[in-house]
Amino acid sequence: MNLKNTKLMTILLGLISCNSINAHHSFAVEFTAEKTIEIEGVVSEIWFRNPHVRYYVDISDNNKVISWDVRTSSPSLLVRKGWTKNTIQVGDKISIIGHPGRDGRKLLSVISIKLSDGSSLGQKYPKPEKLGKK
Amino acid sequence: MNHIISKTELSKFLKTISQFVLKFIFVYLVTISPLMAKTSVEGKWMLILNGGKGQIDNSVVIGAPTDNKAAIIGELSLSQINEKWMGHVEGGPVDVKIDNNVIEIVVDSRDLAGFVFFRRLKGNFSTKEMSGTFTIEGTTETPEAGGKWIAIRKDPNNELLPPKPVDISGLWTPAPGVDFRKYSMDLTEKAKLWHKDYIDHYDQPNVRCVSPGIVAISAWGAYPFEILKSEERLTFLYEVDSEVRRIYMNKKEPPAYYPTSGMGFSNGYWNGSDLVIETQLLEGNVRDFRGEPISDGARMHERYSLSEDGQTLSAVITLLDPANYEQPPIRRRKWTRNSSTEIYPYECDPDSFYRQMYDENKLEMYFERSHRRQID
Repeated sequence: MNLKNTKLMTILLGLISCNSINAHHSFAVEFTAEKTIEIEGVVSEIWFRNPHVRYYVDISDNNKVISWDVRTSSPSLLVRKGWTKNTIQVGDKISIIGHPGRDGRKLLSVISIKLSDGSSLGQKYPKPEKLGKK
Repeated sequence: MNHIISKTELSKFLKTISQFVLKFIFVYLVTISPLMAKTSVEGKWMLILNGGKGQIDNSVVIGAPTDNKAAIIGELSLSQINEKWMGHVEGGPVDVKIDNNVIEIVVDSRDLAGFVFFRRLKGNFSTKEMSGTFTIEGTTETPEAGGKWIAIRKDPNNELLPPKPVDISGLWTPAPGVDFRKYSMDLTEKAKLWHKDYIDHYDQPNVRCVSPGIVAISAWGAYPFEILKSEERLTFLYEVDSEVRRIYMNKKEPPAYYPTSGMGFSNGYWNGSDLVIETQLLEGNVRDFRGEPISDGARMHERYSLSEDGQTLSAVITLLDPANYEQPPIRRRKWTRNSSTEIYPYECDPDSFYRQMYDENKLEMYFERSHRRQID
């Protein structure tokens, strides 16, 4: 099943909860919970490993490429909901809503991710779906 | 008539009586009433926020919350020293004001995202019970409503009951509520000195894939764990950090030269149907995200209780480390039996941590902070 073509990509992640419940340190220290931003870019690198899953996302800005470190939860909590290491792949164009890092650091703690086909991963979609792609 | 008294005499009599009553009220308010407050309030209580009274059994509250939300539970201790009220919740200091039979308690807590906020409890008390309402002050990640609270005298009975083992084997997933997540603890001067420049996102063991040890893991509210039962041993398999813990039920002594470690050495016994675990030989470590220290050689006491229907496991977890804490810190946890999950692999790669340090030119600073990761 090609996940990019399915409209069943809505997953309950409760990402704020994921970020915080299993955070390995204080979310509030590194991220601005009171601020939300949206970025759009191309996935350049994926680390689907503990302590946090990370997507490096390149954003073009005035002919410069800026890499953001986009963080979600722990792999074992994500895969229970069907979000596997293949759900997002290198080269995918995605937009992410999240809490930025403090002190202007290019870090983003994910609230939701919108994929190029319009489907989304994130807490705004409360119906859990097992994506099943291994 | 001889018995008839004059108006003047009557007036004098009434004046004398009223003066006596006023003096009595004054003396009562100034001396006796505070003494009664002292004797009424001092001691240990079980605080329950937004919950039913439940049953109290040696500090484990079993009972469904009245509002269908998970109750928050904590041990409150009150004492008066030099006419000043001292209070602790879960071993951490709280502000207390007492005026006649009115009590106000302010408890600092930290939410799941790390925001520190306050619960202000106001209410009345008698010798057996307190009750009132509480409000939230400060920023929280998810807005939390206030509500009602009660406190009931803690049963001082610590009698050891004949063992009545129950079957707690199986898979358990964390359930919400219960823990106060008390923020500040009553640190000794030694601990304050060590803790003052701790930075969790550089110094916390798990940011670089080092297990935080059993004190943090046992109270970690995100991952499931499994209990296996075998002869004279229980084995806890934690998903987080793939840690394995052996709990010897046969009074086994640690082997000679057994080292201190993050998981320590655990013995267990049944007190009635509660499982009590005593852990020794803990390695110097930090207690949780805040980085409060644990001494090398500290101990931990845990008490696990199974609900009557066998579906809920509750624990009271107490760190015994007088070198660092004036009062033992207490955590509470609750899990739900969940045979539909499994323990997932937990593999950790510290590359991303060091890469971030490198990208931000902080590697040198990180290595200069090595003393933050060595605790005596």
